[in-house]
Amino acid sequence: MAYRWGEHVGELELAVEAETEEAAFGDAVRAFGELLADEDGAPGEPRHYALAVTGSDRAALLAALLDELIFLAETEGFVPQALDELRVGDGSLEATVSGHEGEPPHLVKAVTHHRLRFDPAPGGFTATVVLDV
Amino acid sequence: MNVRRIGEVEWELAPAGRDDMRVPARVFADEELLEAVRSDDSLEQLCNVATLPGIVTAALAMPDIHSGYGFPVGAVAATELPDGVVSPGGVGYDINCGVRLLALPLTARELGKRKEALVHEIARRVPTGTGRGGGLELDDAAFDAVLAEGPRGLIGRGIGTPEDIERTESQGRLDDADPARVSARARTRGAGQLGSLGSGNHFLELQRVGRILDAEAAAAFGLAEDQVTVLIHSGSRGLGHQVCTDFVKRMDAALARHGITLPDRQLSCAPASSAEGRDYLRAMSAAANFAWANRHVMAHTIREAIAGVLGAETADATRQVYDVAHNVAKREHHSGRDVLVHRKGATRAFPPGHPELPEAYRESGQPVFIPGSMGTASWVLAGRPGSMEHSFGTVCHGAGRRLSRTRARKQIGGAELRRQLEDAGITVRGASNKGLAEEAPFAYKAVERVVEVVERAGLAARVAELRPIGVVKG
Repeated sequence: MAYRWGEHVGELELAVEAETEEAAFGDAVRAFGELLADEDGAPGEPRHYALAVTGSDRAALLAALLDELIFLAETEGFVPQALDELRVGDGSLEATVSGHEGEPPHLVKAVTHHRLRFDPAPGGFTATVVLDV
Repeated sequence: MNVRRIGEVEWELAPAGRDDMRVPARVFADEELLEAVRSDDSLEQLCNVATLPGIVTAALAMPDIHSGYGFPVGAVAATELPDGVVSPGGVGYDINCGVRLLALPLTARELGKRKEALVHEIARRVPTGTGRGGGLELDDAAFDAVLAEGPRGLIGRGIGTPEDIERTESQGRLDDADPARVSARARTRGAGQLGSLGSGNHFLELQRVGRILDAEAAAAFGLAEDQVTVLIHSGSRGLGHQVCTDFVKRMDAALARHGITLPDRQLSCAPASSAEGRDYLRAMSAAANFAWANRHVMAHTIREAIAGVLGAETADATRQVYDVAHNVAKREHHSGRDVLVHRKGATRAFPPGHPELPEAYRESGQPVFIPGSMGTASWVLAGRPGSMEHSFGTVCHGAGRRLSRTRARKQIGGAELRRQLEDAGITVRGASNKGLAEEAPFAYKAVERVVEVVERAGLAARVAELRPIGVVKG
């Protein structure tokens, strides 16, 4: 399991490599947790959110899940840490994400569909998501 | 990729092995800018735009083109109505990001040492930063009125003047707007943000008029040498971002049903006549109206700051020169066809005599504002007939980013940059040192060259240079 952030002119790119689909979604959530972590201050109260999104394929579902996290960070001050539960169906995804209250920096404005991918690869799956920052 | 010269500063792309382009792709640039453009993937993105169903004439790029999401930034695409597509990515996330110019009734010499106090007061009054509220709080009905009517719905509250509305592109209202098509999530993100600047490359700049190159047009715009101006660069904040997100997703899910295949999912689109297309145009128009209202409220707040520092008479005599959008799709008529013109990082620039221009600007052509990077000059242009002949009445929008934020931060510290700007006579307020470094002037292309190209192409003519004397950053 691994993820890495790449920065290009005016955008951030998240690339994930994982052995399973579930791990790929989990890594993406952990990566967002790193990105949205408070720069200062101790973590606030623990929080859990049950999320449900739709999308035409795995890549669209990943974008929709991360979009939920952006909205919760901006409106609820939620800093995600882990993907606790995940059910991925055909065109839908349900997840429980745990984390804590905080003051996440609002540097991510949107999850784009630019170069959006979620594909089988040798040894598992790879996914790429570009963020508008 | 083969590039063929078709005009003094116009080039046509001939990519090898692509048979999916419905129209050519063309770029306005000189040799040096073209070489710079070829260093990223923006030309490939422009060729992708040329595949969109219903696109007519050509996928066009302005000289400030750079890589974007799906569409490159600096792109123009017109699709024929009623069934050509509309693409949310062709408008961009910050729907109706744009620029408003205010002209004060005094010179920089007359302003003198009060400049520091004025910049400080503007920074104190205008909310800045991503995601923060601090803007005008409205109840649901008033919020809906802004989405439907734009800034004209605020005049009754004593915010702005009817002349401000007259001197705004489309009088600050797109008629397709339907607040009911704006999602609850978009409303939540936009709540409390009306009248706030945002972050990133958004800014308020106190300027003085430098060189004047077209005295007649400058007089029509009410600009004189050394006059103090304020440039407002902002958009539709979180509301616009969410509208774009909502419809990229919805159209992505409907591509197969419409029989559309795309080289990049961010180009997701739907026929303008389809349910998805109509709903997007209604929501996008509401977000555009919100953006005009946002800049309108900021202009009002700036007038209050001017009143506080320079007196009520000066504030009352502060005029709006114009307000232009540079991320929007609009129904227009070109060369005998009804088209939907997508401008993503591109500015409308109608020529003299165009019926959509305010009476005061019918002879001069439409005012266009091209912001430079922080610390460098911005430009006032006027639309010219060539824009209608070559670019669907469009010119560039700005300098265009050259370096990533991290690379900019590695090259200079915020404190050092602040000192350099202050040494150059530019008062800086409101930005963290980190945010300031990310927006360093060298992180952007030189705007002068971009402006020269659109002038050589006959799209617009230079009217006046605006030199920064104070900056408020988000």
